[in-house]
Amino acid sequence: MTLLEVSLVLFAASIAAGALGSVLGLGGGFVIVPVLTLGFHLDIRLAIGTSIVAVAATSAAGAASNVTESITNLRVATLLAMATTLGAVTGALMAGVFDARFLFALFGVVLGVSSLQMLRRRSIAVAEVPSLVSEQVVLSVGTAALPREARNVHLADRLSLHSAYWDETAGCEVPYTVVHTGLGLGLMYLAGTLSGLLGIGSGALKVPAMDLAMHLPMKVSTATSNLLIGLTAAASAVVYFARGDIDPLIVGPVALGVLLGATHGSKRLVGMRSDRLRTLFVVVIGVVAAQMLWKGLA
Amino acid sequence: MSAPTVRAPGALTPPSPRGVRAAVGRVLHTGVLASAAVLVTGYVVTFVREPATFGSQAVARAHLAARASFPHSFGAVLDGIGRGRGDAIIVAGVLMLILTPVAGLVTGAVAFARRGDWLFTAISATVLAVILGSFLLGSLAA
Repeated sequence: MTLLEVSLVLFAASIAAGALGSVLGLGGGFVIVPVLTLGFHLDIRLAIGTSIVAVAATSAAGAASNVTESITNLRVATLLAMATTLGAVTGALMAGVFDARFLFALFGVVLGVSSLQMLRRRSIAVAEVPSLVSEQVVLSVGTAALPREARNVHLADRLSLHSAYWDETAGCEVPYTVVHTGLGLGLMYLAGTLSGLLGIGSGALKVPAMDLAMHLPMKVSTATSNLLIGLTAAASAVVYFARGDIDPLIVGPVALGVLLGATHGSKRLVGMRSDRLRTLFVVVIGVVAAQMLWKGLA
Repeated sequence: MSAPTVRAPGALTPPSPRGVRAAVGRVLHTGVLASAAVLVTGYVVTFVREPATFGSQAVARAHLAARASFPHSFGAVLDGIGRGRGDAIIVAGVLMLILTPVAGLVTGAVAFARRGDWLFTAISATVLAVILGSFLLGSLAA
């Protein structure tokens, strides 16, 4: 195969990775790394370096339209970025302390459990409003019915994290209350640590943390994750660059493809039905969980 | 100013006013367009100056096996751009892309400060410090 052919295949695969990744708040590494290592037998160091750039590209292009369309919660993103970047540094410093295979297996199990939990949250929404105007209307109303003390909203009150977003499919503005901010920060720190230890983005952990713990609407979770993963990736990307793991002729087509795919994908996020987005997310992180378990157990 | 206001559950309190979001969005858009333009330029330069690179199976094998040489320090990138090397221009585009979300964060910090929201200015500054710290740690370790 010539480099021209390799570039064209990578470019095409990256458009798909960028589109899927930006809609789901994931970096797309779960598509890019297998294509590079299994498809082209690329050296694993270069594959990880390329994957980090793909995460940065998904983040930049995805967040550019999400922020402009006001789906991203900037205050939540900034606050959680503090926890996740600190976690990433902790993870990088602890690299080698834990057995990587054990961590991959653990990551796989955590993702598997999160995907099941997220599926349960979907069935709650569907059961209460069969017509399903928007699952988030139901979920946020359901949360608001609880006493304030039970919902741990005080920290979010103090930090003015509550917000609203315009939901195209529901045809209305959907307000939401952010709960369990402290728990969310803790989970983000752990997600950051795991990504630092394993050299992976961890959008797959960040989205469930925002959805399950903090009760952010699904679209807000994936859009906010888009911004977060780029900040975490930036912290480690420079290391990969200095080590010589970023090969321009391999990374170039991937970066351009992901930019194109993510720009298109993130624009479609506004018009997607939240329940379908949730189902797609659950399926994709099911696949990621299997990849991780395989890495840990094989 | 008054004490922090207590809001009703689910009350509509836009987290970041239009101005902050617009500014951050603009910076991200600009970063994406600029890095895409630089990446494409790098490709065109490589095509024009070293067309053989893309037609050779041996070159492809060297790249896939991590045996190719390319610039991987800031000095080498600048030097390569000076010599009109396509691969150095592509790396510059990649670095711009990596820094785009960070530029968004800096814009957010400035916008929070302008509004007198010192808590979020401090939080943004902390994130920035952690990222810069890991840049330094990483460059030293590599």
